[in-house]
Amino acid sequence: MFKQVMFKKALLLGLLLAGAAHAQPAPTTLTVITHDSFDVDKKLVAQFEQANHARVRFVKGGDAGELLNRLILTRRAPLADVVYGLDNTLLPRARAAGILEAYKSPNLARVPAADRLDDAGLLNTVDRGLVALNYDRAAWAKTGLPLPKSLDDLKKPQYARLTVVPSPATSSPGLAFLLATVNHYGEAGAWAWWREARANGLKVTRGWSDAYEKDFSKNGGRSPIVLSYASSPAAEVFYADGYDPRKLPAQSPTANLFLPGSTFRQLEGVGVLRGAKQPELARKFVDFMLSAPVQADIPTRMWVYPAVSGVPLDPVFRFAGQPEVPAVKPEVLANPQRLVDAWVNNVLRAR
Amino acid sequence: MTLSPTLRGWLLALPPLLFLGLLLALPLGRTLAEGGVNLGIWRDPYFLGRLGWTLGQASGTALLALAVGGPLAYLLSRYDVPGKRALLRVLLLPFVTPTLVAVLGITALLGPRGWLSGPLGLDLEGTPALLIFGNLFFNLPVMVRLAHGGFSRVPPALIGAARTLGASGLRAALSVALPLALPGLMAGFILVFLYSALSFGLPLALGGERYATLEVEIYTLTAYQLRLSEASALIAGQLLLTLAATWAYVRLLRGGTGVPANNLPPARGAAALLLWSLVALVLLICFGPLVAVVVRGLLGSGGPTLGYWRGVLTDPDTPLLLGNTVRFGLLALAGAALLGTLHALGAWLARSRTLDLLSLLPLMVSPVSLAVGYLLAYPALSATLPMLIAAYTLLGFPLVTRSVLPALRALPPRTLEAARTLGATALAAHRTVTLPLTLPALRGGAALALATVLGEFGATLVLTRPEWATLSVGLYERLGRPGERNLGEACALATVLLLLAGLSFTLLDGGEGEVT
Repeated sequence: MFKQVMFKKALLLGLLLAGAAHAQPAPTTLTVITHDSFDVDKKLVAQFEQANHARVRFVKGGDAGELLNRLILTRRAPLADVVYGLDNTLLPRARAAGILEAYKSPNLARVPAADRLDDAGLLNTVDRGLVALNYDRAAWAKTGLPLPKSLDDLKKPQYARLTVVPSPATSSPGLAFLLATVNHYGEAGAWAWWREARANGLKVTRGWSDAYEKDFSKNGGRSPIVLSYASSPAAEVFYADGYDPRKLPAQSPTANLFLPGSTFRQLEGVGVLRGAKQPELARKFVDFMLSAPVQADIPTRMWVYPAVSGVPLDPVFRFAGQPEVPAVKPEVLANPQRLVDAWVNNVLRAR
Repeated sequence: MTLSPTLRGWLLALPPLLFLGLLLALPLGRTLAEGGVNLGIWRDPYFLGRLGWTLGQASGTALLALAVGGPLAYLLSRYDVPGKRALLRVLLLPFVTPTLVAVLGITALLGPRGWLSGPLGLDLEGTPALLIFGNLFFNLPVMVRLAHGGFSRVPPALIGAARTLGASGLRAALSVALPLALPGLMAGFILVFLYSALSFGLPLALGGERYATLEVEIYTLTAYQLRLSEASALIAGQLLLTLAATWAYVRLLRGGTGVPANNLPPARGAAALLLWSLVALVLLICFGPLVAVVVRGLLGSGGPTLGYWRGVLTDPDTPLLLGNTVRFGLLALAGAALLGTLHALGAWLARSRTLDLLSLLPLMVSPVSLAVGYLLAYPALSATLPMLIAAYTLLGFPLVTRSVLPALRALPPRTLEAARTLGATALAAHRTVTLPLTLPALRGGAALALATVLGEFGATLVLTRPEWATLSVGLYERLGRPGERNLGEACALATVLLLLAGLSFTLLDGGEGEVT
């Protein structure tokens, strides 16, 4: 009886080995964790899979801030091999938590020096998002007011209750805007501005969607000014009902409002996670995200600018401005979480 | 082999209890253990204020729901109202509505440029009115259905007797029907209270950060600030409160008696007037926002358009979204129906209040802390399909238990005994007596469970994968991008979700289902 079992096992093993010798080795699975807004052409991913005899499994980890926290919580048993979507506001915490493994992609050479996230190569810049205020042209015309010229104007009574921004505590463009104001006014000055602007009816919502889809006048809300991205007016044209790329309109229904101290350059990157099961393949994926076809695919999919220079932009991007963004002081970027906590205490909970 | 009913009950409840242990107690314990519990946060006046507001808005919503839903449910149970079943059935629709869709609908009606607030000259911004309206939108249906279940068990002969003895209609309702229907009303009150106290998408979207609830604070502390020890203290406090509320409710609860009456008279005079005014009010609150969303899916800035629907119908991803929604919904429904029924049977046989209470746990626990618990306890499973389905099942199964349990308790014991006396085996007696009498409740509970699952935004509990996108995920993705078409298509997808839900309710539920 026992012998028979042994024989069967040996036979089975032999068959398996013989089968394995003939068949291709099973493709390796690479797990890529991203923020919820990640989107890339499936054909490009299929090409990557074919070239590397791999299968790419994407996992969505929430908004960028949630994503980072999930990675920190699970750093002992990493959820993935590669992460895309952490940005320069989150990098300090990612670095402190030690969740990333350094790898500098050779493709980084084509990213302008000012847009590289860090020298160690923990994150490789994939794209630039320009956080900026936008306004609704039609609704603004109805107010009969001149456009504000500075953030200080938003504290004036005539501009009361016209602006909505997502919260720095719970949204990544909100955090970027907070850092821009701290960079512009200094810490104490920024808290004063926020308190006065809020007293003047600056609305703070939880996330970008609440602000843009509910409170922005373009979508039926009250506020003709909203914090979004410099690319949003281009997206408004692209996603207009009956959009025809051959017949672009004269102007977008919304426009940028580049008030000094209100814009911020968000650099999103891709990096290898410490403890990755497929570090080799992970590094190849980093290169892939910085490759020319993916870079060209990014703008009209995620509405951010490619990091690599010389990538042609879709003509619809002529509706999006590119402001001169002042350099962010190192102390502002050193510990953004501390600034969020301070904002919560000094602005949100101050009554 | 004669086991005591208590033992048999606990044995039957073993699988759902095991499930609760693995999917709820363990991950929650893991979250609390990760950061410790910093009870000092409860000395912070800010969080005490949040607690006060959370309890205040939840009690206020529950009272309002009782004030509107109670009388309506009574009148519906007393009179033959055309379209009653359809009304009770479509009242499940708000339940499936994703939060942001509800918010868009409510804003379209009552927001600063709303279709109702504009002409009425209402400015509700900065007041909690929109939040309370949103709470009612989601919870009034629960109240109406539960209260209707309670009232429809009151034998009409009793009310008739009171009337014959000279009591007015109001007096008869208050002194005869009300005490008998109390379990159903209390159940509605407590569920509305729980849902409103623990809601979190709604308060921030509609109330702004000024009207944030505890759950919002837990979410912010956990997901964004990673201050787990402080979040844990809030979680623990919130859990104690909700446990206390539910314990009181389980103790109050007694089995209903009687069976729903047939041959009801049509309503006349003042009763008819009150009835139809209440129906109109409930329709406005519960369907106004949904109609607004449907209309927004058909209305562009340049007038009526089918462009958004065309966009949705030609999107190559739409079949995937629809297929996943149906697939996940059915899988979770099967799990929820099985576990929920076992749990209800167990609690009924064992006559155990503890089991009764335990089935409510999934409704009491903060989803955010559960999500963290899953990551910590099961990192390898956190992005797997079984985990996703299990999480959906967890959300749905209490609703099945809450529905089947009162039906079991209301079973006339003599019928079962009669069947046994006439020679039926225990199994046959259950098949021919218990099953037909509890099936409507099971179907009703299943419809509610499915509703919860359909409307659930996947990413809340488990990490999702793009290939698992459901209708609500597709909808949120569109709402995450600027542009008119994205908003319009999100509203069209929301309409598809509502149609799908409406269809499945028609198949599942006769409208008589109840939950306690």
